[in-house]
Amino acid sequence: MNLFRSEEHVQRWLGERAPGATVPVTVLSALAHFWWGDRLDPSWRPHSREQNQAILDRLGLVGDFWELA
Amino acid sequence: MDVLPVDLDLRNATYRLFVGLGRAPTAAEAADATGATVGGVLDGWVRLHDAHALVLDASGTEIRMANPFSSVPTAFRVNADGRWWYANCAWDAFGICAALHVDGAIETRCPDCMRPLSIRVTDQQPDVGRLLFHCLVPARQWWDDIVFT
Repeated sequence: MNLFRSEEHVQRWLGERAPGATVPVTVLSALAHFWWGDRLDPSWRPHSREQNQAILDRLGLVGDFWELA
Repeated sequence: MDVLPVDLDLRNATYRLFVGLGRAPTAAEAADATGATVGGVLDGWVRLHDAHALVLDASGTEIRMANPFSSVPTAFRVNADGRWWYANCAWDAFGICAALHVDGAIETRCPDCMRPLSIRVTDQQPDVGRLLFHCLVPARQWWDDIVFT
């Protein structure tokens, strides 16, 4: 899970490997906020799969690649 | 996977120690903080590892990840809350600012050209909007090998 300068850099780094998913860094920052924002709360409880899938969904991270186990 | 209340207490104490110390606590330090035995801490950590609530190293006795924090140096350094941290990946680098509820600065490199990337995060917004995040592993496989992911 890396940051790249541009799509050209992603493609060159991938080479022959199958691509995963590429998203803007602004979406990544929002994802981190929703995913990790409660991590140090004293009342923290593990997120359910459904909770985490809903976070991905609300940011438009949908489709087979983003389906959690 | 459900987490036992006693393990939630241990997990929360482990995270508090991590943030307070700026590094992963040892089992002895967690035992001192919680009143448990070292063996009790290690047993609890294994259950938390199995529940994906933290990640142990290969020995099963030391914290490898208290996500989003990494206990070992990585390519993702984060300056936040007056201290440098290591994150497990780009996602976790932003996650450290999110978890601490502070602004911060992320330092990493583009893995293609290896040129440094510096991102300032203010109110959850990166100051370099043109960068791209690439996730190689599909979501359903993230925990098959979380260190690789």
